[in-house]
Amino acid sequence: MGTSVNPADITPRQVANKSDKKALRDAIRMTLGVQSAAIRHNTQTFNRNRYAAISRLPDYDQLKDRARQIKENAIANLPWLLQQLEASVRANGGNFHLAKTAADANTYIRDVLTRHNVKLVVKGKSITSEETKLNHALEAVGIKVAESDLAEFILQVADEQPSHIVAPALHYSRERITALFKRKFTTDLPLDTGEELTKFAREILRQQFIAADAGISGANLIAADSGSLMLVESEGNIRMTTTLPPVHIAIAGIEKVVPSRTDFGTFIELLPRSGTGQPLTSYVSILHPPLKAPVFAAPGKEPAKEREFHMVLIDNGRSRMREDPVLHEALYCIRCSACLNSCANFETVGGHAFGGETYSGGIGGSWEAGTGQLSNARFSDLCTACSRCVPNCPVRIDIPWLNENLRQRLNQAQGSSPVKFMFGEMTGSAPEDSAAPLQKQFFGNYDAFGRWGARAASLANASLHLPGARAVMESVFGVDRRRALPAFATKTWEELYRDEKDVKPGGIHPGVVMLADVFTNYGAPERGMAAIRVLRAVGVDVVLSPAMPDGRAAMSQGMIETARRQALALAPVLRRYLDAGRKIVVLEPSVLAMLRRDFKHLLDGDDTQALLAQNSYEPLEFLWKVAQEQRLDLAQIFPASRCPNGTRLFYHSHCQQRTCNAASQTIEVLRAAGFDVVTSSVECCGMAGSFGYKREYYELSMAVGEDLFAQVREAEPEGGPRTLVASGISCHEQLVAGMGREVFHPAELLASTVG
Amino acid sequence: MQPVLEQTSLLEQFTNSAKAAVATVEIIDRSPAALRGAILGAAGNANRILYAPPHDLPAALFSEFATDPRVVSGATADQMVNSAAGVTEAFAAVASTGSVCINVSHERTGMVSLLAPLQIAVVAAETIVPQPRDLFRADVLGGKGLSRDFVFVTGPSATADMGPLVRGVHGPHKLHIIVLR
Repeated sequence: MGTSVNPADITPRQVANKSDKKALRDAIRMTLGVQSAAIRHNTQTFNRNRYAAISRLPDYDQLKDRARQIKENAIANLPWLLQQLEASVRANGGNFHLAKTAADANTYIRDVLTRHNVKLVVKGKSITSEETKLNHALEAVGIKVAESDLAEFILQVADEQPSHIVAPALHYSRERITALFKRKFTTDLPLDTGEELTKFAREILRQQFIAADAGISGANLIAADSGSLMLVESEGNIRMTTTLPPVHIAIAGIEKVVPSRTDFGTFIELLPRSGTGQPLTSYVSILHPPLKAPVFAAPGKEPAKEREFHMVLIDNGRSRMREDPVLHEALYCIRCSACLNSCANFETVGGHAFGGETYSGGIGGSWEAGTGQLSNARFSDLCTACSRCVPNCPVRIDIPWLNENLRQRLNQAQGSSPVKFMFGEMTGSAPEDSAAPLQKQFFGNYDAFGRWGARAASLANASLHLPGARAVMESVFGVDRRRALPAFATKTWEELYRDEKDVKPGGIHPGVVMLADVFTNYGAPERGMAAIRVLRAVGVDVVLSPAMPDGRAAMSQGMIETARRQALALAPVLRRYLDAGRKIVVLEPSVLAMLRRDFKHLLDGDDTQALLAQNSYEPLEFLWKVAQEQRLDLAQIFPASRCPNGTRLFYHSHCQQRTCNAASQTIEVLRAAGFDVVTSSVECCGMAGSFGYKREYYELSMAVGEDLFAQVREAEPEGGPRTLVASGISCHEQLVAGMGREVFHPAELLASTVG
Repeated sequence: MQPVLEQTSLLEQFTNSAKAAVATVEIIDRSPAALRGAILGAAGNANRILYAPPHDLPAALFSEFATDPRVVSGATADQMVNSAAGVTEAFAAVASTGSVCINVSHERTGMVSLLAPLQIAVVAAETIVPQPRDLFRADVLGGKGLSRDFVFVTGPSATADMGPLVRGVHGPHKLHIIVLR
């Protein structure tokens, strides 16, 4: 790591642009050191409230389908919709400007304000104006800009970029705001409660609302058929901005346009709930300006003139995104922040580390790349593809896929080298992926290392303990030396399976094939055998597939072509088992997610992907299905009282397992067997495959893990420790690292109860 | 029109949702005297009460209230920003969220419902719709939600930007809803 800068000495602006690797490292240090507690509290509150709010929305899934469909059509028909919108705005009596670039938008707005001799403009929250750096452009010609959203007000006082798309200053605790205001304003007020701080800012801003000659707002959605805006807020500042001054300018990206005002009906149900978790925020304005209401004239000012409205839509790279086969999906984003709040890494560091100049979080990389340079998207490396954002996105954007593609492009932008190429050849990278850094090829080709390690396990394991071995791994492959590396098994899962004698064929149909995923095969074969024993205990006929890589490791490093090769090799093998009447059972949840979700990006053509997705199961998910169908008494087959590790468990399901809806069945099975199960509620353990092994992310990974470790400690005060149980292999490693205790797969506990 | 029974349960749902959003709700008989009593009761000892005459409800309903000497319907700019309460009608309400819908293009309804610390909204029970999405249907309330400039108001203004949740920011600090039976 090298750097010894005090995190408090790094300013957010210094690390906003992450095209330089060091900025990302410094930003992680800064946020972990200064901002993390406030960010965790705020994002996790939003996240909890969102889960509660959508659970009370019975047609949530249908609304999401509808929202997705509206956005797909809108982006596909965008050029036509923009023409229609222009006509609608003009028919309402407004002005319309389509700006090609950020500078173009700023110039137009500056000219409107100059024409009206505006000295003070009041602004509602607009992240798009952060993208265009509008405030700088206006201040450069002497126009004072008053940010009226309290979060934007804080950022303006602090000179910082937003850290979150909905609550741009959520990295500030109340205490830090007090300190900031005391530093920047001359006041004798104590300012040591939220109420006092709010009152202080309100009184400053109230004067400005009254005095302002013009108001600038953003727009959450714009309807082409009527020129209507939807504006979502809670403070009342956007109402002030759009109601009081005679001139109203709305600035937004062209992707905000939907065909019809009737479409607002879908988004008004989804947007506030997906963001802050409120059924509605305090104020949702539906306007087709200019308003017909009389203009407010400040005391002592000229009586009102006519109202004037300008809609300024910016392209600034969006048309290019629209043509991009992958990034066009980012244009569906309605900026609700669900992907930020459900992301364990974001919850821990926020948008000043997991973000760029304007946009942040899982979706942010695509936006920074789309509206700026690809290299600005480097922070998207913090997306571990845990996939928790996927079921929470109201427009069903596959955000991990976007980030894997950005990673591929960033890899390719680096260019190959003879060393990288040779390393790739030896370890199995597709030629297209040979430009990936050695670290990425090392983790992306886990399969190759697994095979070598297993062939000479004792030698491989011993060599890791040789003096200097870890230092070499750290400097060449970026594997953090503080991480314990899982040992290679002396016998692989395939070998253990072949050694089994006197196996009776199971009586329950269909039988299953267990996929010998490479992680289990080389790293944890005993878990695989336990799963086989458990399924056989209820009479399922089980065979094991040959060990084959599935593409997960490569995908996570942005080595998409390598992943595609592996998927194309694996799919027909699994297909043959399906055709022979077997179902597929996959132990490692990240591999199950490949079959259920990710293969759709890698396989094309026939129906194999759909068949694999529909017929693959997590082991306990399959067991629960069989138990339901056969009315099995699991307490009799797997009596928890016989478990040598006791009946009190703490269970952490895997992030991708939850996204696949394949986690709750494990809890059902364990409880039916008689175990007392407490579960974690964190989105991800923080290890996330290779992420936590990487030198540059070790601290972040452990900081994320701390939420999980705290939940374990909380579950244990009475009755002593609980046996730790995890379904994912990397969650297992993370729990071992954090709690210093043995961790079991659920199947191992069940297997231990069977004679 | 909705069947009476359903309307009753919508009113109940609306009341619960509005209270959950930290508004206060009062259900009264539809008469000028009852309305006067309710508004003045809610306004307490307000120095001045801004009033935007209605567009949809009959103005006669407000006639007794409007005779109170503290009521100002043609407020000066100075009065506009220095009054304790503002009274407007709402042309619709939403049961699932407890919101009231305020027409902001009708005269000074928008400002009156925004600038005073206490917002009082008067809404007819038969204009309560089940969900926000219903305002975007042509067959609900004569399609008013598709043609007007309006605001869904759900509780008082609020912020969490200063750390803890604070009610009362730029907009009203309190919302009192009077439902006309």
